[in-house]
Amino acid sequence: MAETAHAPGTSPSETARPVPFRGGGFAPRPRKWVGLAVFVALIALAEWGTRAGWISALTLPRPSDVLETFVQLYESGLLFRHLVPSLTRLIVGAAIGVGIGISLGILIGLFSHVRAGLVPLVAAIFPIPKIALLPLFVIWFGIDEASKYALIAFGTFTPMVVATYGAVDNVDRTLIRMGQSFGLSWVSIVRKIVLPGAMPGILSGLRISLAIAIILLVAAEMLGASHGIGAYILEAGSLYDLERLFAGVVILSVLGVTVSAGIGLVERRLLAWRS
Amino acid sequence: MITLNRRKALALMGGTAAASLASPALAMNKPIKVGALRFTSHAGSFVAYERGYFAEAGLDVEFEFFEAAQPMAVAIASGDLDYAVTAISGGLISLAQKGAIKVIGGGLSEEPGIDGQKFLVSDAAFQAGVKTPADLGGKTFGISTAGSSFHYMGAKMAAAEGISLDYKPLQKVGAIIGALKSGQIDGWVIVPHIAKPLAGSGAVHIVGDVSTYLPSYQVTTLFTSARNAAEERALTESFLAGYSKGAADYNAAMIARAGGEDGVNAMVDLIHKYVNADQPREKAAASIINGTMRLNEGAALNVASVRDQLDWFQSEGLVDAGITLDMLLDTSYVQTMDS
Repeated sequence: MAETAHAPGTSPSETARPVPFRGGGFAPRPRKWVGLAVFVALIALAEWGTRAGWISALTLPRPSDVLETFVQLYESGLLFRHLVPSLTRLIVGAAIGVGIGISLGILIGLFSHVRAGLVPLVAAIFPIPKIALLPLFVIWFGIDEASKYALIAFGTFTPMVVATYGAVDNVDRTLIRMGQSFGLSWVSIVRKIVLPGAMPGILSGLRISLAIAIILLVAAEMLGASHGIGAYILEAGSLYDLERLFAGVVILSVLGVTVSAGIGLVERRLLAWRS
Repeated sequence: MITLNRRKALALMGGTAAASLASPALAMNKPIKVGALRFTSHAGSFVAYERGYFAEAGLDVEFEFFEAAQPMAVAIASGDLDYAVTAISGGLISLAQKGAIKVIGGGLSEEPGIDGQKFLVSDAAFQAGVKTPADLGGKTFGISTAGSSFHYMGAKMAAAEGISLDYKPLQKVGAIIGALKSGQIDGWVIVPHIAKPLAGSGAVHIVGDVSTYLPSYQVTTLFTSARNAAEERALTESFLAGYSKGAADYNAAMIARAGGEDGVNAMVDLIHKYVNADQPREKAAASIINGTMRLNEGAALNVASVRDQLDWFQSEGLVDAGITLDMLLDTSYVQTMDS
């Protein structure tokens, strides 16, 4: 940069000045260790503060104690007694909600009558706080697993529908017109143009829906669950046991990161056609 | 409306000043916040406030109302409340272990001969043959959260009967009532002023008394922050003095019936301002009279019962095994029993 601006002996107006490439944009580049360093710094700060005493035991648990609690949880085998029911609820509930959500979303995107009939309904049930319906679900589906599946399914369904029909709407019109001009059948257009074109939007909707499913897991386990990560967190909260509370919260966070990474993998596979 | 001219007003101000100087209060109109639930078990505080016993003790009390015991314990720990009355829960013990709160006196007690807390079963379970608490073996039992007083009472009954219960945490009293009425759970235990109207509706049945299993159960306790207990001795004594007078009035009117029917009615009117205030007086009165239980005289504390509760919480692994009774209690303020 410095030499191009002031090349010695020549006046700037006479020589062709090489222009540096300035269109690099703000493209984020991978910096693998920065994210980890932020975590480590925050945890180290909390550890130092709780040890030195300027963070009281009431405000924050000591990170090393949380780790110890987690190790105990693992060694006693309780971790899996909590994880297995929670993961089952998450998988079954989210599978039902996401499955119905994507199917209905595609139907809304493709058929005007379905759109006219269902979009207002979806808009009406979207803002209902699903947790408020929990007591009702208990009456409808019983206090055992079914009501928990229903809550998670209901909570993931609405964002999934909205994301899916939005994604179908955003498929490039010119591609569809091209397909029609070339005489492709309706089924071919849907299968080869609409669905792949809607896939990025559907997958980003899935990311949001699954995060909501994890949030709702805690709510679903409020009623009548004696095992599960959500039940574990609620119990720790009512016992004011901060170490267990944070151990549970960390499990949920790890679950969130895992799900997000999983969707990242699926995206790379399904959306390979984009690059 | 009284009209005042300037001279009268000045005289009145002088008079008030003289009167307040004359009273030998330990703390002068010190503003304090007291936490309460809208339950008859909190009547001691209500009576002390309404009849001016707190004011006599030099306290300017402001009530903060809560929906559950647990947030109240946290509010004491955070310094938002000065004093509160609630059941001993796992959360309360954990907060005491962290050096945040101390139990300083007794509130409500079970007493044989006085109608106390009741074991309830759903109609479906009752029809299926659950007629006593012992029949609940292997059945579902509603609790708010693990480590709540419901959990403790259920577990003590189960231990005494040699049965095991399937506990269902449902977070809120309202949710438990709903689940019990619709037969989603089989059993529960609750204070009489909720148990009796529920049983009256026919949807649930009363099958036993808590006092059978826990004869002198210290149900609720008075507690405060560890700082108040250690450093604000005069203030804490004033609070206990005011509260004790309220509790004594309540016991005299509702249990000894010293004032006869009129005494009961006057007390019900007073409590009705705080408990079931949204219901008409006749309906609320029945519930308030149903809820009558003994408040500890002089806020005396049954240490033996508290020890039993602490032992149970520790044996269940709900609280740290290293917690001692000294961490939880400050027994320097009130009389203790069976210690």
